[in-house]
Amino acid sequence: MKGTRHGSATVEFPSEREVLATRQFDAPAELVFDVLTKPEHVRVWFAARPLEVCEIDLRVGGEYHFEGFIMDEDVMTCSFRGTYLEIERPVRTVATWVFEGRPEADAVERVELHETDGVTTMTTRLTFKDLSTRDSITWSAPDGVHLADGAQEADDRLEDYLATLA
Amino acid sequence: MARAAAATDVFTAIAEAHRREILDALVAGERPVGAIVDVLHLAQPQVSKHLRILSDVGLVTCRAEGRRRLYRLNHERLRPLHDWMGKYERALSERLDRMDDYLEDLQGRERVR
Repeated sequence: MKGTRHGSATVEFPSEREVLATRQFDAPAELVFDVLTKPEHVRVWFAARPLEVCEIDLRVGGEYHFEGFIMDEDVMTCSFRGTYLEIERPVRTVATWVFEGRPEADAVERVELHETDGVTTMTTRLTFKDLSTRDSITWSAPDGVHLADGAQEADDRLEDYLATLA
Repeated sequence: MARAAAATDVFTAIAEAHRREILDALVAGERPVGAIVDVLHLAQPQVSKHLRILSDVGLVTCRAEGRRRLYRLNHERLRPLHDWMGKYERALSERLDRMDDYLEDLQGRERVR
């Protein structure tokens, strides 16, 4: 019976810096972990069309790079890169997630898998970094001017980034 | 103050922490500038600048009552944000559905072997 769990994901915004998604899969955690971390799998399901670039170096400090038409209505390809910070097969990966290869880490994504009776619950917590730092830097300007150029760019990036994440 | 024009839409307007605090302060209802200043612990000129940006994108409206200026939240303008969150949620959910189908295909193939 295909698609019985379709639309069952819950997506929450626990704070202004976080997005938390929870979803169950009728598969063992080992397999879910493989599907999340092996390029031959990710290439197929990640976007509506197969990714053009899908490279994964699954080790702490290793990098991944996805590129393709991420959303259905995309007219150009989008690129994501990141670095693995933690890997514990088959229960957890923590990685930075940077849109368009920006050198600084825009967010950290923490994926956790928990298997019960052959059903694996996956939680994905995306935490944006540097919002508070950015705000404090913005407001250190003595004349109280509005967003500094860098902060404005960061805001634009954040918006672009959010729009292409899903 | 050319940079004041930087916030051109609801998303850019709320990307700044103090402006989100102002919106929070207005959730309960209409308030004069002075009350917002008290909540934010910012100088009044700064609060006024933020209010102007929020007003430019239509997130707050302002009316005069005697010498006081009263600000209130324009809930209708928050709708794009709700719409965007809904769209984000759907797109993410669809991705997870694709992953689900893929897992099912994989397991089906194993069973056939």
